[in-house]
Amino acid sequence: MKTIIKNFVLMIVISLNFFTAFAKDNLVTDLSESTVEISSTFLGADILLFGAYDGQKNDDIIVVVSGQKGEVKVDKKEKKFGIWMITESIKFSNIPKYYYIASNRKIEEITNAYEIKKRKLDFNNFKLINNKINYKNLDKEWYEALKRNMKKKQFWKIEENSIKLNKNTLFRKTLSLPSNVSTGIYNVKILHYRDGNLISQEESKIKIDKTGISANIYNFAQNFSAIYGIIAVIIALFCGWFTNFIFRRI
Amino acid sequence: MYIYLPIAEQPINAFIVLGIGWLVGIIMGMVGIGGGFLLTPLMIFFGIPSPVAVASVANQLVAPSVSGVLSHWKSGNVDFKMGTILLVGGVIGSSIGVLIFNILNAIGQLDLVIKLSYVIFLAIIGSLMFIESFKLIVQTKRGKPTRGKLHQHNWLHGLPFKTRFRKSKLYISIVLPLIIGVIVGILAALMGIGGGFIIVPAMIYLLGMPTSLVIGTSLFQIIFVAANTTILQASQNQTVDIILALILLIGSVIGVQIGSRFSNLMKGEHLRLFLSLIILIVGFKLIFDLVTIPLDIFSISII
Repeated sequence: MKTIIKNFVLMIVISLNFFTAFAKDNLVTDLSESTVEISSTFLGADILLFGAYDGQKNDDIIVVVSGQKGEVKVDKKEKKFGIWMITESIKFSNIPKYYYIASNRKIEEITNAYEIKKRKLDFNNFKLINNKINYKNLDKEWYEALKRNMKKKQFWKIEENSIKLNKNTLFRKTLSLPSNVSTGIYNVKILHYRDGNLISQEESKIKIDKTGISANIYNFAQNFSAIYGIIAVIIALFCGWFTNFIFRRI
Repeated sequence: MYIYLPIAEQPINAFIVLGIGWLVGIIMGMVGIGGGFLLTPLMIFFGIPSPVAVASVANQLVAPSVSGVLSHWKSGNVDFKMGTILLVGGVIGSSIGVLIFNILNAIGQLDLVIKLSYVIFLAIIGSLMFIESFKLIVQTKRGKPTRGKLHQHNWLHGLPFKTRFRKSKLYISIVLPLIIGVIVGILAALMGIGGGFIIVPAMIYLLGMPTSLVIGTSLFQIIFVAANTTILQASQNQTVDIILALILLIGSVIGVQIGSRFSNLMKGEHLRLFLSLIILIVGFKLIFDLVTIPLDIFSISII
């Protein structure tokens, strides 16, 4: 109920604002939150993306959210001595750790292959860099495996037909970030298409950061790792002594 | 209630983990052995990455060992001289263990080696415990008293550097306890266990220590081995999840106290039979996961 009211209020605010905004641009968007904090009770986050556009019938909206780029290691298991073990690995670098695409209908129907490639509206157009030089001769199998696993972990996701367009002027979309999402600056791109051509676009950023006690523990463990280990031992020593102390009295 | 683990980087249900720690603690308290060899595989089944599971369980192990030693110390059941020699070996061993851990991690086979070591140890311990307790139950039913040889002299007693252990009433070489300590230390670092199930029989059968001193003394050395492992794992691999360790240890220390109070409710051999079945089930599940075709032969890790 709270979110419904919140969304409703946001809608009103944006409706009031966009008449003025249209003077210079025909696409106005905003996010319900521009920072996501991963605290000790973090279970994932929902961010409401909403916007207004100067639309006509059959206009389309595509939303692309991309996270920080990083290295992804792909391991291949093979059966040896009766046991499945990792026998080969390839590291891909420059891979977005999070990539999300949403649209109001099938992207192939919205625009052409050239646009899809240029704007990276699928998962097949990232520039691949890997540590094996002869990748070109290798099977596409490895990249397919990477794609499949990223999708399974919900780090890569495509949701066509998921954006609701309202009277060719308003749209909204809830972005659901999984609980194990990586930190960093996320880029949110909103693309407005008419007859397959991009007519306007907007960009915003979401900052995903660890906060609170879990962030402090993580940073401490990374930066003062020996002291962290000693503290971990002292806590355990104390707990052991303390329970003995308590239970001796019972 | 879900809590986000800072090092494992995932949320877990705190009550379930607390409950697992508590149940394992009860078993520990009733049977009188450490629970690391059950906790680590259970955490792996729970989705915690195995390097984090091993290091965090080693951390939690410090707590029940301390409270155990304190109560054994009160009743005078700790041989500190023997314990010190064992722990010197243990500290050397756990340092070697962490080194092996790092090498395996670098070549990407750590997960496999941890699981394989568990399969081997759980199978051996589970079946030995099963046979032993089963025999005992059958023999008590028949009313035959059992008695083995208490102390035997063999080649192990011919080793150099002999020292007198007053408390244990022994005059043996320090080489043997040192080696036992090293082996247990390696296992502690690699598998996140205290090694009670290895060191206890080794102390009784190889060193010939009095049974009453064995548990207290082994717990004494485990404190230092577990502490050394924790500090090394934390400083070299950043794999110690203090929150996970804390939840587990709260559950287990309470469980141990409850378990030890109720240990006389059930006969020792029945308890051990029950425990051996749990161990065999856990081991079987690990083997099953290793030999069945994975859902996807490819897996990814984000760096």
